Amino acid sequence: MYPNASEVKANLVEGPTTIPIDVKFSSKYSLLIRSRNGNSFDPDTEFSKLVLEREGERIELGRCRILPEPNHEGYAGRLIFTRDVYDLESLLFHNKLVRLQNAFLNLPLILAHKHKISQSFKNYTANLTYDLSVYKNLFDSLDAEYADEPENIKASLQETIIAAEGRKFMAFLDDKLQELARIVRNFSREEHERHGFYFRKQLWNFIRCAPFMARTNLKPRGYAGDSEMMSMIYANDYWGDSTFAKLLHKHPIEHPAAQAVRNRRHVIGKIIEAMKSDGCRNRSGKQKILSVACGPARELEDILLAADDCRGFHFALLDQDRAALHEAAKLVDQIESKLNTHIGVDYLNESVRTMLATPQLKTKLGQFHFVYSMGLFDYLTPPVASAVLGKLYQLLKPGGEMVIGNYHISNPGRHYMEYWLDWVLFYRTEEDFKHLLKDAPDAEVDVFFDDTGVQMFLRVKKKRKMDSDSSFLPAEV
Amino acid sequence: MTRSIKFTLKPRWNEIEKIRNRSRRFLASHGLSDDNVQAFTMVISELIENSVKYGKFETSNNEVIVDIQINGKTVTVEVINPVDETVYTHLKALDKTIQWIRGFQDPFEAYVERLKAVAKKPLDDDDSGLGLARIAYEGQAILDFFLSEDHILNVSAVSNP
Repeated sequence: MYPNASEVKANLVEGPTTIPIDVKFSSKYSLLIRSRNGNSFDPDTEFSKLVLEREGERIELGRCRILPEPNHEGYAGRLIFTRDVYDLESLLFHNKLVRLQNAFLNLPLILAHKHKISQSFKNYTANLTYDLSVYKNLFDSLDAEYADEPENIKASLQETIIAAEGRKFMAFLDDKLQELARIVRNFSREEHERHGFYFRKQLWNFIRCAPFMARTNLKPRGYAGDSEMMSMIYANDYWGDSTFAKLLHKHPIEHPAAQAVRNRRHVIGKIIEAMKSDGCRNRSGKQKILSVACGPARELEDILLAADDCRGFHFALLDQDRAALHEAAKLVDQIESKLNTHIGVDYLNESVRTMLATPQLKTKLGQFHFVYSMGLFDYLTPPVASAVLGKLYQLLKPGGEMVIGNYHISNPGRHYMEYWLDWVLFYRTEEDFKHLLKDAPDAEVDVFFDDTGVQMFLRVKKKRKMDSDSSFLPAEV
Repeated sequence: MTRSIKFTLKPRWNEIEKIRNRSRRFLASHGLSDDNVQAFTMVISELIENSVKYGKFETSNNEVIVDIQINGKTVTVEVINPVDETVYTHLKALDKTIQWIRGFQDPFEAYVERLKAVAKKPLDDDDSGLGLARIAYEGQAILDFFLSEDHILNVSAVSNP
């Protein structure tokens, strides 16, 4: 890891005795040690301190002792610390004194965070934890019971168990979500936050076994709703290492809030499908479409079904996440191979928060017949959402249309998402949503919903001069 | 009904205290509780300090604009100032940090994680993000920002108790 680590002069001190030594980085929590005066070390001796002399600076570290390892690369052994444990990598390579025990400094703060948890919520969480333990033990016992069966028999047995007892367990989870909604109904935002933190601390061992729940909580790409989470929602399948994990993975993915994600993909598909017969095209005979925060752009496989479809459109896919764009590019490659044709796509790796600063964005990207964005505005506060929407509106051609998604404030999965999944959205009412584009000239704005009523869409049409033609959005969406 | 007030200030440290006091009076006069007034005044103060620190004020006309709006229970503050391209790297980090903080239902969790990270950072690294986590946790505010084409940075905090 650090092959060129250099030796550092130091002194071991115990009472009046000082032993001059050379030390060298060995591992994060140990140093190689060699006596400078040729003396050997008594393995039982503990020293009160180690004093490092480095770049004219004296750094005192606490109690330590030697683990003898004679002839280890010419060193007598390793030095380890016995009271305060120091991160020697941080010290020697990053000039920072960090103790392993530093994590405990925040302990009182974290422990105190439970003091304002309501008793009814504590009871609810304790009962839920107990019930989940019972369910988990039962499902794990069944898994163990048929663990030695051939793979196809195991799969069949698991399917049977999921269809019977598994579905009952999911109904139990539905009931517990309703109970949660009743308990937290009158909480302030701060109370939701505090109780959510407490809830996840208590249930973490269950949450972490379900791949979807673990990912929404851990957010490995640094934000919620990444393309892998979207893929899990689209797959809508039983994933996990055990029957219990599979059930806990599947339950939130079946919820209306997740169904809304699947629905919105089809809503966009239908809109673009309707554009195929629309006459508006650019000079190269294509309709230009911009997807903002495109993610894996899975709707493309619903839209591009024949080579003619591909020839009719040019896509610009914008996302802050390179991994998501890579997945989208892979999908485009697959469609091109399958249809033996070329698809015009520009990939734009940019955050919307800084995208607005791109000089002459309109000149750079051109204008679009259709702009859509599904999983973005749920994360933007009004000042930013309004600025982004205004900019996207500028990118619309006259006569062009824009469809923007946002979860409605009535989302029945809100508490599920916040408490179990640690997934917070910025919800809006219809009026809030329309208000974001209040100053746009020549804009016709309305709002419609998907079948769940969870996903709200803002539909904006930029009027042509003397525009009288109808929208290309099909009436049923 | 939205009630709002807008301040402009020169990018000088001694101006911040004046705006802090005027903001406090405005918030208090609109019926916010003492705790909320204190919390949101802290938020405004932190945002202005960042603005003065990272803003690019090349002419005497360049100022910091502070816009506070109260709409029902929601308080929104926007702090607006010019920047130049040298802060773009900082803004990318700001984008990531804000999304990371908002990835926690309870900003307390982000605050504790930042405290841990600060304990491990080299002493000369002041880009800890602890101030932002503090705004989210103690200020109970949702942070966001955007940069406009004319290099104007708008950082906002929305609080909805």
